[in-house]
Amino acid sequence: MIEKVVKIVNKAGLHTRPAATIVKLASKYKCEFYISKNGLNINGKSIIGVMTLAAEMGSQLILTFDGEDEEAAAKEIIEYFDRGFDEI
Amino acid sequence: MKISQKSISRIESISVGFLYNNSKNAFKLKLFSDDSGFEKKIFEQNLHRPGLALAGFVDLFSYSRVQVFGNTEMRYLSQLSDSKKREALNRIFHFEIPCIILTDGNKPFPVLVELANKNNVALFGSPFSTTKLVYLVSDFLDDQFAPRVSIHGSFVDVYGIGVLFVGKSGIGKSEVALDLIERGHRLVADDVIILTKKGEGILIGSGTNLAKHFIEIRGLGIIDVERMFGIRAIRFQKRLEIIVELEIWDDKAEYTRTGLDERNVNVLDVEIPYVKLPILPGKNITVISEVISLNYLLKHYGYDAAQEFQSRLKDRIRNVNNIDDLRGVDYFEHDFE
Repeated sequence: MIEKVVKIVNKAGLHTRPAATIVKLASKYKCEFYISKNGLNINGKSIIGVMTLAAEMGSQLILTFDGEDEEAAAKEIIEYFDRGFDEI
Repeated sequence: MKISQKSISRIESISVGFLYNNSKNAFKLKLFSDDSGFEKKIFEQNLHRPGLALAGFVDLFSYSRVQVFGNTEMRYLSQLSDSKKREALNRIFHFEIPCIILTDGNKPFPVLVELANKNNVALFGSPFSTTKLVYLVSDFLDDQFAPRVSIHGSFVDVYGIGVLFVGKSGIGKSEVALDLIERGHRLVADDVIILTKKGEGILIGSGTNLAKHFIEIRGLGIIDVERMFGIRAIRFQKRLEIIVELEIWDDKAEYTRTGLDERNVNVLDVEIPYVKLPILPGKNITVISEVISLNYLLKHYGYDAAQEFQSRLKDRIRNVNNIDDLRGVDYFEHDFE
């Protein structure tokens, strides 16, 4: 299991487009993927779940990957967060 | 089914302003002071009646709780002179109390309002009796401070039974929920379900305030169930009674055949009946879900089909020599239908 804390760095926060991209990226992998913010823990493969986080700029999220291809999934998704969802 | 510790949360404090704004209508609260004490925090769900503290005994005074002034406190204060009143009240305002509620329609003395404003403590009044108000406020605070857990799934009221569908992403939980709605059942929430523990042994599930009754159907996108199917298709909260886990049929897994061995899953220390349902082509999960609910209802009302069959079987084995006809009918003469 991989666990990593990431920070939202783009101005618009985790809005619809990045949420859809995250779900799309996560769905390629077999491993389970959870995102948690302030005690709200959601499935990272569900678009409504990811949007429910309503994560604003500067907020911190805990990403959890668990399963056979967790390393590849973690690498790709964490990079996407670090790039500010390609918006900076 | 496993629940990660990260999903479990608990609110540590609420502000007095939050209590007032969310309960003023239900508790008929009236504000006697100004709102300068609204920022104060409440950390405990218990209430306190400060009779002894007013009389001078402040050892073990539970000052951090919401203070309730009932008829006893008000009668005691009313027979004191103004300077004695001030002295008695200063004993409790000396501590960091969150707020004061007067019950039974009692009106505050001017000196009480003055001291409340001076110490930035909100002062409320309610027409309810002390017993009733203590019950209402404790219930509200209990709910606010209750442990919560967020779970990924679909939560539907099926024949009045709260059924939570869980399972891997993309297995078809939302589709089952949609199918159930179409058959007249009611959606509580989809995707993110928040379960709150109520008292001992009860979990209440609801959606988040953002995603309320939106659901996502793969290949279609997000739909609004309330708009599309109307008010009859939704409800805001429901007690959780059964958890159904959907999974792809696994040859190696063992599935319940008789239903005699009941399985439970522990959520926030509450045991919830649990059914594992394999998905196969040609298997109508919606109808099976309805049957699961109806079976739960039957059991609740005292009839357990598996137990009944088992006792009949035992009977038969015991009286094996007395049976002459295996068929489950009596003989009807000339009945060819």
